[in-house]
Amino acid sequence: MAIDPSAVGRVYPPQPYEVSREKVREFADAIGDPNAIYVDVEVARKYGHRDVVAPPTFVMIPVMRGFDLLMEDLGIEYARVVHVDQRFSYSRPLIVGDRLETTTTLDAIRQVAGNDLLTIRNDVRGADGDEVCVAQATLLIRPEESADA
Amino acid sequence: MPDPLTVGQVVAAQEYRITRENLVRYAGASGDFNPIHWNDRVAAAVDLPGVIAHGMLTMALAGRLLTDWLGDPASVVEYGVRFSRPVVVPDDDQGVAVHVSATVTEVRDDGLVAVDLAVRVADQKVLTQARALARPPENDDDSGPGLASGVADQPAT
Repeated sequence: MAIDPSAVGRVYPPQPYEVSREKVREFADAIGDPNAIYVDVEVARKYGHRDVVAPPTFVMIPVMRGFDLLMEDLGIEYARVVHVDQRFSYSRPLIVGDRLETTTTLDAIRQVAGNDLLTIRNDVRGADGDEVCVAQATLLIRPEESADA
Repeated sequence: MPDPLTVGQVVAAQEYRITRENLVRYAGASGDFNPIHWNDRVAAAVDLPGVIAHGMLTMALAGRLLTDWLGDPASVVEYGVRFSRPVVVPDDDQGVAVHVSATVTEVRDDGLVAVDLAVRVADQKVLTQARALARPPENDDDSGPGLASGVADQPAT
């Protein structure tokens, strides 16, 4: 069953996320990145940051929280989801201690060869409502029948 | 003064390896526990050629080439990719080699530089339209966190 086209334009409630020192360390470690700016406050300050910053793609963690809401709302299991593209525009880096809020908007749905292509926008803002990052994604949703093919 | 960057200049190139262990670590760190990234049975059931890497892990590795060159990760203004082909990660100690190189495509009047990332496994591109916009490093002899210091790195071939 195709996804209800009237879902386009739906905006999901902002999801909070706090950037923690240990999560940034764990993430940098997981991508094999030894850059000291992700773990050492002194190094981060040398570059003019108040504290340790996160690797650019770390922002996908809060963005995924928004995806989760949308998937649940539309009744989509992740097994049917293929990540087609991902784009980030940064106003500033994510910094340890940031209390972020991510708002997810379903911008568009297109049908392509029996699949649904979702265009999703995530606005990641800081505690003051300042824009931190805009993340745009295209997800391909395979039809339910083929999920257990 | 550093030499100005020129269009067509390759500013960085590196080979990274992805093993099953890396996938487990990335799953835990990112919270993406989709079983196609760790379970051969599930991968086969959805017609994948094998367990595949998280697209976001490949994107992170290409991003690392960028931030190693830039010095300050906060210099990345825009970064986007298209996941064009799955990266199959074999169940062995070597894993899969991912080659990444970064080429300048535009030097803008506002000081930002557009960079194209070529990301391939063997001869096949696994990411396409992999592009970034960044504030370039101010000098080339930055003694801060820099290039090619990773334990998992292999010299680019």
